[in-house]
Amino acid sequence: MNYRVGIDIGGTFTDFALLKGSEVVLYKNLSTPEDRSIGVISGLEKLAGMEGLSMQDFMARCDAIVHGTTVADNTLIEMNGALTGLITTEGFRDEMEYRRGFKENIWDVRLKPPRQITPRRRRLTVPERILHDGSVHKPLDEEAVRRCCRRLKKQNVESVAISLLFSFVNPDHEKRVAAIVAEEMPGVHISCSHQVLPRSPEYDRTSTTVVNAYVAPRVTSYLESLVTRVREAGYRKQLMVMQASGGVMTREYIEGSPIRVLASGPAGGVIGSAHAGVAKGYNNLLCVDMGGTSYDISMVLGGAAPAVAGWNMHHRYLVGVPMVQVETLGAGGGSICHAENGEVEVGPASAGSEPGPICYGRGGTRPTITDALLMLGILSADSQFAGGSFSLTREGVEEAFQAIGDRMGYSAQDAAFDCWRVVNANMSQGVQRITAGKGVDARDMCMLAYGGNGPAFAAIQAEDLGIERVLVPKASPTFSALGTLVADPCIDEERSYLVPADRVDAGTLKALWRELAERARGYFTAAGFAADEVSARYQLNMRYPGQNWALTFSVRVSPGLDDLSFVDDGIGQRAIEAFNKQHMEEYGHIREHELPEITGVRLSTSVATPSPVVAHGYSAPTALARVAKTRQANLGDGFRETDVFRGGDLVPGHEVLGPAIIEETFTTIVVYPNWKLLVDDAGDYELTRC
Amino acid sequence: MSFELNRKLAARREPLPTSATVDPVTATIIRGGMETICFEAATHLGRAASSAIINQSNERNGSIVDAHGRLAGAAIGTPHLTFVSQFTVRYGLERIHDYDWGPGDVFLANDPDHGGGHLPDYNVYAPVYDDAGELILVQCLQAHQGDTGGKDPGGFTLEATDIFTEGMAFPCLKLVHRGQRRRDVFDMVVRNNRFPSIAGDLAAMIGGVQHSVGMLQDLVRKWGADTVRAAINYNVEQTERRVREEVGKWPDGTYEADVFIDHDTVGKARDIRVHVACTIEGDQLTVDLTGTDDRPDLVGVWNTFGNSRSYIMTQVVAAMDPGIVKNEGFFNAVNMIIPEGTIANPPPNKPAALGSFHPACEITEAVCVALSAIVPERSAPQVYKMGMPNAVIGVDELGRMWMDQGVDSRTCDTSAVEGIDGWGSCPVSLGNLLLSQVEDAESRFPIINVSREMTVDSEGAGRWRGQPGSLNVKQVLEPATAMAWMVTSKHPLRGMCGGNDASPYSNRFKVGTPEEHRIELSANEVLPQGSVIAYQYGGGAGFESPLQRDPLAVKEDVLDEIVSVKRAREKYGVVFTGTVEEFDLEVDVEATGALRRDMGAGKAAGAN
Repeated sequence: MNYRVGIDIGGTFTDFALLKGSEVVLYKNLSTPEDRSIGVISGLEKLAGMEGLSMQDFMARCDAIVHGTTVADNTLIEMNGALTGLITTEGFRDEMEYRRGFKENIWDVRLKPPRQITPRRRRLTVPERILHDGSVHKPLDEEAVRRCCRRLKKQNVESVAISLLFSFVNPDHEKRVAAIVAEEMPGVHISCSHQVLPRSPEYDRTSTTVVNAYVAPRVTSYLESLVTRVREAGYRKQLMVMQASGGVMTREYIEGSPIRVLASGPAGGVIGSAHAGVAKGYNNLLCVDMGGTSYDISMVLGGAAPAVAGWNMHHRYLVGVPMVQVETLGAGGGSICHAENGEVEVGPASAGSEPGPICYGRGGTRPTITDALLMLGILSADSQFAGGSFSLTREGVEEAFQAIGDRMGYSAQDAAFDCWRVVNANMSQGVQRITAGKGVDARDMCMLAYGGNGPAFAAIQAEDLGIERVLVPKASPTFSALGTLVADPCIDEERSYLVPADRVDAGTLKALWRELAERARGYFTAAGFAADEVSARYQLNMRYPGQNWALTFSVRVSPGLDDLSFVDDGIGQRAIEAFNKQHMEEYGHIREHELPEITGVRLSTSVATPSPVVAHGYSAPTALARVAKTRQANLGDGFRETDVFRGGDLVPGHEVLGPAIIEETFTTIVVYPNWKLLVDDAGDYELTRC
Repeated sequence: MSFELNRKLAARREPLPTSATVDPVTATIIRGGMETICFEAATHLGRAASSAIINQSNERNGSIVDAHGRLAGAAIGTPHLTFVSQFTVRYGLERIHDYDWGPGDVFLANDPDHGGGHLPDYNVYAPVYDDAGELILVQCLQAHQGDTGGKDPGGFTLEATDIFTEGMAFPCLKLVHRGQRRRDVFDMVVRNNRFPSIAGDLAAMIGGVQHSVGMLQDLVRKWGADTVRAAINYNVEQTERRVREEVGKWPDGTYEADVFIDHDTVGKARDIRVHVACTIEGDQLTVDLTGTDDRPDLVGVWNTFGNSRSYIMTQVVAAMDPGIVKNEGFFNAVNMIIPEGTIANPPPNKPAALGSFHPACEITEAVCVALSAIVPERSAPQVYKMGMPNAVIGVDELGRMWMDQGVDSRTCDTSAVEGIDGWGSCPVSLGNLLLSQVEDAESRFPIINVSREMTVDSEGAGRWRGQPGSLNVKQVLEPATAMAWMVTSKHPLRGMCGGNDASPYSNRFKVGTPEEHRIELSANEVLPQGSVIAYQYGGGAGFESPLQRDPLAVKEDVLDEIVSVKRAREKYGVVFTGTVEEFDLEVDVEATGALRRDMGAGKAAGAN
């Protein structure tokens, strides 16, 4: 039997989902931040062992290794990416700071600025100018480019973003600047805007390129070492990487614009959630994923979570590539707790896995949320942690919270409880922001909680929002890994082509789509897929003249990549009709006397791959589960003796009344007072309000 | 159309009659639902409209008014527009029977003398009825239009002495009757506009409110009309309570401020005064504009009554916990005295277009200066002080008029507040307005944007400094006409609590030619092909004395070429060793200490 392995590399844990036929095996171990590929390999070895195979045999039988990573996200949360410089057109040095005027909260005059990835001293300009039709208005001053390089070098810049006006129409100047930078600054990473996001307008493209430059060196070096290691271990196929769009693609493809992996771990979770939720009959899901470093919130509506390109503000930076919509907060088990100006604060800094929370006993000295859970009795030093890979220790934990308590004027216990309250409030507010934008009543939704720490908190957020039901899949601690196995390989790209729809040139359209198709074919072939397995959506971006946003719609959906015969002289007229139909559907009107314009062509290609089967989850006859032990725990209303259950003891049909704690292999589920938990026939947990 | 009407529109409105009670969570959920619907309506409009000011600048606003004409909820846009939208609806509600309101109707209003701001702000609104046929809510969608059919394109006529010069005023015009568009009325509105795109924009606004009305009907059906009314009552009362709590924490007393505009739109009258007195007695805040200029022959600096209320409120909400829900409760909690006949409450038929900039923003600024004595930590003026930025107008090869309205990316008026330097490109309250981009503008207009960077040494100095201003330079590729109105040159944006004022605005036409000249007051000039115009935006103002600024923060500013080494010494009293070029700049601690002592002493002596 052949295998497919999904791997999700988080800030703290690396999660594995092994698919063999329709069966899924889960595993997780600690991430290894100094070289994350080490943790991956040791996990794969563990899986090989579980299958009774040598590593070489196991890897040889892997059809696919697919993974999502939060490397890019953690870089932006912790703001520790590459030292980045920007080279842009003379006269336009400050677009990154203007943000087109955007500020996140129009009511808060104390809103603080986001940290500049490229402060003004590292935003440099060169004389050059290309116009909207691609013509050169002012030639590139190459000597000025070299002067910029010298200034950036003096500042030890490691990664350079290049974004010139209208480069998406004519990239010649950008290419030349890139060549000079490569000469003058050997070894620096270079990101060109015409490659990262080939479309207007300049702030959107520049910002996306700058964020790409900031995260690229870390993402690239990580992927390179991972590929080397899995190859050495005997893997013969292409490593597949999850993208923010919810599709996966090869490492070679990703390295063209590493920004595409931003939020890819979370995207995997969302794709997995939709898959699991729909199987159980819940089409509207609020998905919350709390790991060691971050808290990710997303929604599945009507069973789907489509990717949206455009105005995606991510960690306060605009990223314009297609993304499944996920909101990330710096709130995880490793989030560091501290007291400041008489207030308790949690995160966004995280202790990660190295040194990790104090209770991991790996040298951590700063108290974290995981340490607070230990103080509250929700976790215990007597139980095994992370699947038995180690036990927690209380040593140093109480003292650390006492230090917070001293500043606040109360006990260590009170300090831990306040940290728990603060992180809950942060998460509830985040969840409220997400649901508010969608026009859905949270009470009509099911919450799906996953990640190692999600199930310990979820019912609190559910209660704050009025949600009646929380689903905790058995696979919840490694859910994002599972999601990567659900996602299909996908390439979604566009090219700019500005033309009134009645003057469209079929030859140009054909050439652009052919170029995109050839790119897709190349990458899919290299990934081991036959061209006829690829299904293609040929799309156009169109708008009425003067509109700022284009509508995207498919003019042709076909298996295979070769048939462009639909691009004939009538395509302009058909496009106008299709656009007007779409405009009517979206906006309720069309402009009778206006002729729409084409702004670009887009090609979305994908290949269907096998997915895990999720059990439906009807309720088995209920029976009260047996208590394994009790301990003192504070679940929000003071310490009391609380029932503790072992996840392994629970079988379909078991019911647990809150307050109670379930210790699962890789996670802890808290059944809060006035909640009950039921194990469904798939072995998944369902929490409902009594 | 009188002071009497204004008084009637401003009168406090009763809570909605209801037999239901509502718990706080449900009230919050219903409010969230309404905010979301506003957001969707405004988003829908932003994507479907084609005039640059709507779809690139996001100058559009969704709000919901209840059957008593109270602001029940709002979600997007700018506070300045949000707090005036209930006023035009109130006029419509006055004439509900005369104008035969019913389900499926959509109205248009923009009349400055019937509750409106200025003519370009079209408020398209639609009543929402429950299944029993009772009026529950009104959905509003407001957006700035590119033209109003008056003397000058765009609707801004500097020398206008009455509203009729500026264009068409609609007190309450029915565009859609019981779901059917009134083609004759629609076509008349479109005919009275220079830009053919108005048809699409107006259709987009109608589509947006109709979309929202459907969603609001669902919301009313789901919860029941009585519960929705109870939720609105709860939220309005809750806001009033929260505002009074905040005011109750402020020290009693009267705090006054004067702010001046350089001149009126024709330059005849100078130093036009806005006077504000903010009085706190217990939990009651009173904002009184008595003493504000009322010279009857002033030209172009008249702000409508509804707008003045809104611009006062914009700064009042900024001074409080940003978490307080924005609705009618604010107006119930704050007493406003706006004397009739002043530039903040003009007699009928005065022009209104430019008054929405000035004195509107000076009213906001004066409230900020007055309140800075009480809430320094929230005293950042929520203004735009640019007069009228350079609008460039031309005609394409098919004879169609185009206009670049000049809402370009830039920075201006971004003042510091205690603990935070000014940042970004505008005050927070304008943070929803997305500024225009070169790659979109140049695809539409025969213009090259030459540069628009921040200007070195143009920050308002302070312990916390304002953001610098910026210089926006453009070149016209074809002959065109450029219009401008300059203010804020003599009276720049005020610094707070001892911080320096912002740098002034200035504007030059035909740059680099023998005819280069500075625009002192206004311009309406034909520019030959190739002409260059350069508009200098003023910066943000500072907070507290620049001599208190951390020298290391000054060093960062110098490295970022925001502040020159010379200015660091002269304004901040900071002396460096090393150079910017070599990145080896260090603060000379001893020299800095000595210089600051001298400067401090000099200042103290000067003060004596």
